[in-house]
Order: sequence, then C-alpha cells, then structure tokens
Amino acid sequence: MAPPFAVAVAAVSSSSPLFSSSSSRPILRRHPLLGSISVRPRHRSAVASAAATESAGKLLLEVHGLTASVKETGQQILKGVDLTIREGEVHAIMGKNGSGKSTLTKVLVGHPHYEVTGGTILFKGENLIDMEPEERSLAGLFMSFQAPIEIPGVSNYDFLLMAINARREKDGLPALGPLEFYSVVSQKVEALKMEPKILDRNVNEGFSGGERKRNEILQLSVLGADLALLDEIDSGLDVDALEDVAHAVNGLLTPQNSVLMITHYQRLLDLIKPSYVHIMESGKIVKTGDSSLASHINEGGYKSIASFV
Amino acid sequence: MSPPSLCAAPPRAGPPPPPLLRLRRRAVSSVAASRSAAPSVSDDLVLRIAEQLEDAAPSSPLLDPLRSASALSLLTTPWPTRRSNEAFRFTDISYLRSLPISTPTRTPGLAPPTPSSDLDSHVLFSDGRLVAASGAHVSALADMPPGHARDRAAAAVAASARFSHRDIFYDFNAVGASDVAVVYVPEWAKMADDPVHIMFAYSGSDGASLMMSNPRVLVIAEKGAEVAIVEEHFGVGEEDGGCYWANPVVDIIVEEGGRVVHSYVQRQSPAAAHTKWTTVQQNTSSKYEFVEVSTGARLNRHNLHIQQLGPETETELSTFHLTSQNKQIHDLHSRLILDHPRGFSRQLHKLIACGTGNGIFDGNIQVNRYAQQTDAGQQTKCLLLSPKAVVNVKPNLQIIADDVKCTHGAAISGDLDPNELFYFQARGVDAKTATDALLFSFGAQVINRIPFKAIEKKALAQLKELLAVSRQNN
Ligand SMILES: Nc1ncnc2c1ncn2[C@@H]1O[C@H](COP(=O)(O)OP(=O)(O)OP(=O)(O)O)[C@@H](O)[C@H]1O
Ligand SMILES: [Mg+2]
Repeated sequence: MAPPFAVAVAAVSSSSPLFSSSSSRPILRRHPLLGSISVRPRHRSAVASAAATESAGKLLLEVHGLTASVKETGQQILKGVDLTIREGEVHAIMGKNGSGKSTLTKVLVGHPHYEVTGGTILFKGENLIDMEPEERSLAGLFMSFQAPIEIPGVSNYDFLLMAINARREKDGLPALGPLEFYSVVSQKVEALKMEPKILDRNVNEGFSGGERKRNEILQLSVLGADLALLDEIDSGLDVDALEDVAHAVNGLLTPQNSVLMITHYQRLLDLIKPSYVHIMESGKIVKTGDSSLASHINEGGYKSIASFV
Repeated sequence: MSPPSLCAAPPRAGPPPPPLLRLRRRAVSSVAASRSAAPSVSDDLVLRIAEQLEDAAPSSPLLDPLRSASALSLLTTPWPTRRSNEAFRFTDISYLRSLPISTPTRTPGLAPPTPSSDLDSHVLFSDGRLVAASGAHVSALADMPPGHARDRAAAAVAASARFSHRDIFYDFNAVGASDVAVVYVPEWAKMADDPVHIMFAYSGSDGASLMMSNPRVLVIAEKGAEVAIVEEHFGVGEEDGGCYWANPVVDIIVEEGGRVVHSYVQRQSPAAAHTKWTTVQQNTSSKYEFVEVSTGARLNRHNLHIQQLGPETETELSTFHLTSQNKQIHDLHSRLILDHPRGFSRQLHKLIACGTGNGIFDGNIQVNRYAQQTDAGQQTKCLLLSPKAVVNVKPNLQIIADDVKCTHGAAISGDLDPNELFYFQARGVDAKTATDALLFSFGAQVINRIPFKAIEKKALAQLKELLAVSRQNN
C-alpha cells in the first residue's frame, strides 16, 4: 500500500497558497503514515503538548454523549455520539442509510432543524453548542451539504464574496472588492476544473448534482477550514470529478486541518485516505477502526462488522 | 376593443371635434341637464376635482374629444369606495380625500432644479406640464407638424375616449392633461437600444393641499418598429417633493411585428399619492416587455391594461413593489385580455410588505374563445416582513378557450426560507446580513430585467437604501 498521505503531501506543496485560514499557526510536517502517529515529531509548545499528552495532534473536536432530536417532532436521532478528532487527522464515517450521519454533521454546524438534548461538543476547546452557526463557521468549521439547496437571486460570486468578507472582517482585514476577489476565486475555479460561468449563476440554481457537490468544495477551497465535514461529496460525481474534488480536498490538508467525511464508497477512501473509520448505527458510533474496517464493510456489508475485531 | 360603456364615441376622423363639454355647473346647460337626468350618481367630490382640473387645463383642440368624453363620464361616476367598487375592494384610497386638491399654477414660480437626462431622447414633465421633449421621434402633440404622424397620434388620443375599462383616474387625467408627449416610431425604425427617457418630476404645494398633476404620454410603434421607453416618476425639492398627487397615463400602441421595451420606476415622495394607468394594445406578432419597480408614494395604484389585437403576441410583465414605510399602500391591478390565437405571456409580480404596509395584487388574465393555443403564465411572490403587514392577492385566470396552456402560482410567506438563511450562516455570514442579501435579491430578480444599466443600477441602489432604512425602523 502506498503511504496514505502521499497524495496529500504532494497536493499541499503544489497548492498550499489555496489554503489560508490557518496560516497564522506554525506549519508542522505531516506524519507520513497512519500507523506512525505516535512517532510524529513534536514541535509544539509545552502548553500544547501538555494538552495532547500521548497522541500527536492537538484536540480539535471532542464530542461526548451527544444526543439530539428533530426540533419540530422531538424525535430523537442522535443517541449518544462520542467522537474525537485531532489536528491533521482524516476521519470517515460510514453507516447504513438513516443511521444519523448527516444529522451528526448538521448538529455540529448548528442546523436549526435540530436540538441538542444532551452531551457536549468542544471545538478547539470551546463549547460549540452555545455558538451561532456563523460563529462556528468563522471558528473554522465547514460542512459541505449532502443536498445543497438553491439560493435564487444570489449569484455564486456574490455569495462567496460575502462569505470571504465575513471571514476577513472577523480577522480584522479590510473587505475585498469584487474585482480583487476575482483573481482569488478564479484560481480555485480552475483548480476544480469548473466552468468560470458557474460564478455568475445563482447559487446552485439549475446545477446538476455533481456541479452542486463541486460547488461545495469550491466554497471550502475559497474559505478554508480547520475541520471540514464532507457529507457524501462522492455521490453524484463522475469518476473524473471525484478525482478533481479529492485532489482539492487533499490540497487543503495541512498538519493542522482535519477532515471528517461521510461516504458509502471505498473509492473516495482510496483517494482521501482516512486515519480512522467509524461505523454509525442508530444514532451512535458503534465501532472505530482504521481503513481496513472500510474494506471489510465494502466486501461483507454492515452485518459483517459484528464479527470484525 | 369593446364599445364604449358609458359614453358616446366621438367620431374618429373627418368632422371637426365636438365642442368641449364643460363641467361648470352654473355655466353650461347641457351638463346641468345631464346632471339632473342622473342626479343620484353624481358625486360632489368627483365634480369638484373635475372642475378644478378643467379650469386649470389650457385649451387644446386635439385633446378636446377625449376631454369631453371623460368629462361626461365623470358626471355619472361616483368616487370609488371599497364597498361600492370591486376594483377598489382592498385598496383604501381615502388618502386622496385627506386634503383638498390644488392644481399647479400656470407660471412655474421658484421651480426646483430640473433633472437632466444622459439620454439623447428625453421628455420632461414638471408637475404634469410637458416642459421638454427632444429626440428623433419625440414631440409634444401640440407641436407636431401636420402630417401622418400627427393624424395618427390625434386619432389615437381621440380613440382612448372609447376605452371601456377606464375609471375616474383615467378620466381625471383626460380632463386635466395639458398636452400629450408623443413617441411616434415609424414603420421599421429600430431604436430599442436607445431608450426614450421620460422623466416625471413632481413637487408639492404648501402642505395644506394635494397638488394634482396629470401628465400623459402616447407611444406608437408602427409596423415592425422597435422602441424602448424608460419612465421615471419622482419628487423634487424639499422633502422629496412632499405632498402631491400624481395621476399619469401612458397609452401604448404596438403595431404588427413591433416591439416596445418599457421600464418603469416609481420612487415618489413618501407623502405622495400615485395613481397610474398604463394601457397597451398589441397587434399581430408584436412584443411588449415591461419591468416595473415601485417603491415610493404613500398610496400607489397602478392599473396595467393590455389588450391583444391580433394573434401571436408576446407579453412579458415583471413588477416589483416594496412597501417600506408604515401605512404605505402598493396596488397593482393588471389585466391581460387575449382574444386571438397563439399568444404568449409571462407575468411575474413580487411584493415585499414591511411594517404596517399593505400590498394588493389583482392579476387578471382573460383567455377568450378565439385565443386558442395561448401559453400564459403568471407567478406572484409576496413576502410579509412584519405581523402587521397585509397583502391581498387575487391572481385570476379566466379561461374560455379550450386548447391552452396556462400556469399560475401564488406564494405568500411571512419569512425568508430558513434553509437559505442557514446556508449563509453555515458559510460565516450572520443572519442579519444574510436577510439583507436575500431581501435585496428578491427585488433584484425583477430589477435585473431592466435592460438599461444606469437605470437598473440606480434602482438597485435605491432598493438597498430602503431596505436598510426599513430595517432600522423595525
Ligand atoms: N429534519 C428531520 N425531520 C424528520 N426526520 C429526520 C430529520 N432529519 C433526519 N431525520 C431522520 O433521522 C434519521 C437519520 O437521518 P440522516 O439524514 O442523518 O441519515 P444518514 O445516516 O445521513 O443517511 P444517508 O446515508 O441516507 O444519507 C432518518 O431516519 C431521517 O429520516
Ligand atoms: Mg446522509
């Protein structure tokens, strides 16, 4: 097997200027192999390394006993989720349809349809549950929607410009004008092999399924994120598109950024190598392993994991 | 067009126009006689206004047939109330009676600075008086040299006396208009890229009365001709013009294969009343494209009347009304009458009501017996941004022909789509900013259809400003 992060490392060096949101923090060298997390060089400050005692990356997301229900009906969907993600890690969640994967990501970003009824969520040590959705986004959390909606009347370009300027305002930077922004965004459009015309169109209006997914990744590549939650970015994408998207995602990965992807397919996991694979069932993470867990499911289905150790 | 409903049609051409019927109660016996014949329906307020207008309007032989017919009609037309008149069922026009009417003095005193246009062809009305008309195909009716164009225009003005759907506002205008600005585009002339800019500037009087103006425009696109007009209505002077009553009429005739591109921006003073008629007659294979943005006036009523005169016409109507101040009323009454085969029409009406604003939309489309294979679509979308805002929406398609495709949809919502708001928030944009952006885009979807950049930009900037102000107020 090739070193899991070979793609990522190459992509980072070729396209690192794309990713700007965490450039203020020191760049660490990515650990070359999944299994070698523990031997990762520690360049971190004493405080930080004290926080992350045995394992490598700093804690990014800590979810404990998270329960959540649909606001309108009170129907409980998440039934005690535990999940820990550290900087530089790639996680994948798999699980049957309806097991609560999308709900988990939506709850993490504060979707108004759901109510957290118990448990804790810490993001970079801060209580996420108390934060507005836009604050979570500005704190470095990004979710690509499984089914991105249309916003009629708002052009993709204006949408991205508003989003980038919200970020710049928070960082105390002057707002970008429409012209300045063009050079930034056109590079990203090109990198994703999208039609430049897509910028003039209204957000997702009349977009094909694949175009919508790519558009989500375009937003990610323009805005950057410390933790990207990618909900089935592989569904609806053709083979070539999947590679473009995976390349872009890998390009965003640095030792500080993490990705949590939801997928049903091995193909994506071959392109973006996960350090951890979780299995979700009835609103809980019931099993965690490395990428071999995914191949196991791929071969034997979910019923086979009961016997898988 | 159907025969006159209330009055005898004056002859179209040939014999000299009949003498002007006077409304004076004392002076003219014929009117006194007709009054006594139908005393129960005479309305003092209507007569008082009509007399005032008549006194103020200079004589104009070419307008006389129309004036006489309208004067006669006013004798028997009561002031419309919500109870007595279906067309005003939801529209409270009592604002028009809140102050006595005054008419502009004959000699403009300290006229506020007159706006100028960047466009070569332009027309300027100041308090209803036509003060400038320049451009290749633009003239005051009174100044047109004798000839075909003048005959055509005069006949069209006279024929509007037989317009059977008119109401008192149409008649007030006919009685009070001092002249008609005529845009006459001869056969096959193409000037759709080079619009005629028609500016209607208004100002109030002392605040103790509503100064009433009755500007009138006639647009004729002859066979194969293409023309664009941009109408702008606005107040000038202190307090954006303050308190006044604008009562304009624009009549449009599109002959076979002709095309009229019509943009209309109404940003009157917040204390103004604006009652507007737009009538359009579309002949075979003609095209009429209309975009309206109305944000001004305390009371705004637009009657948009489109009559098909031949087959295969195309009609596109896009309108946006914003009530951003309290008690503001915006009313669109549109009627599209299709009598011939294979017509195509699309109508989009959008409305935002804030505060205690009131929006009314009555959108009538008649697909009559011979209008087979008509394709008519109508959409209306209303946003109510406060619990006290009210909208009355009455889309109505009357379909008699059996082989037609008609679609319509009406959506009224009290909120922006929470999923759309969340999408913005998920990308770091706070709910307030996202709300502004979504409201702006709601209106921009209509404004973007104005084909002239400068006008479009101005309307967008104004929308942004009004939304910001209304947000601060609420
Ligand atoms: N807003 C909602 N209202 C009602 N039910 C909901 C809502 N959101 C989620 N659910 C229900 O919760 C369960 C989990 O849904 P979720 O979308 O999280 O599943 P998933 O694991 O992402 O499935 P898939 O693999 O099909 O995308 C489903 O049964 C779904 O119907
Ligand atoms: Mg899902």
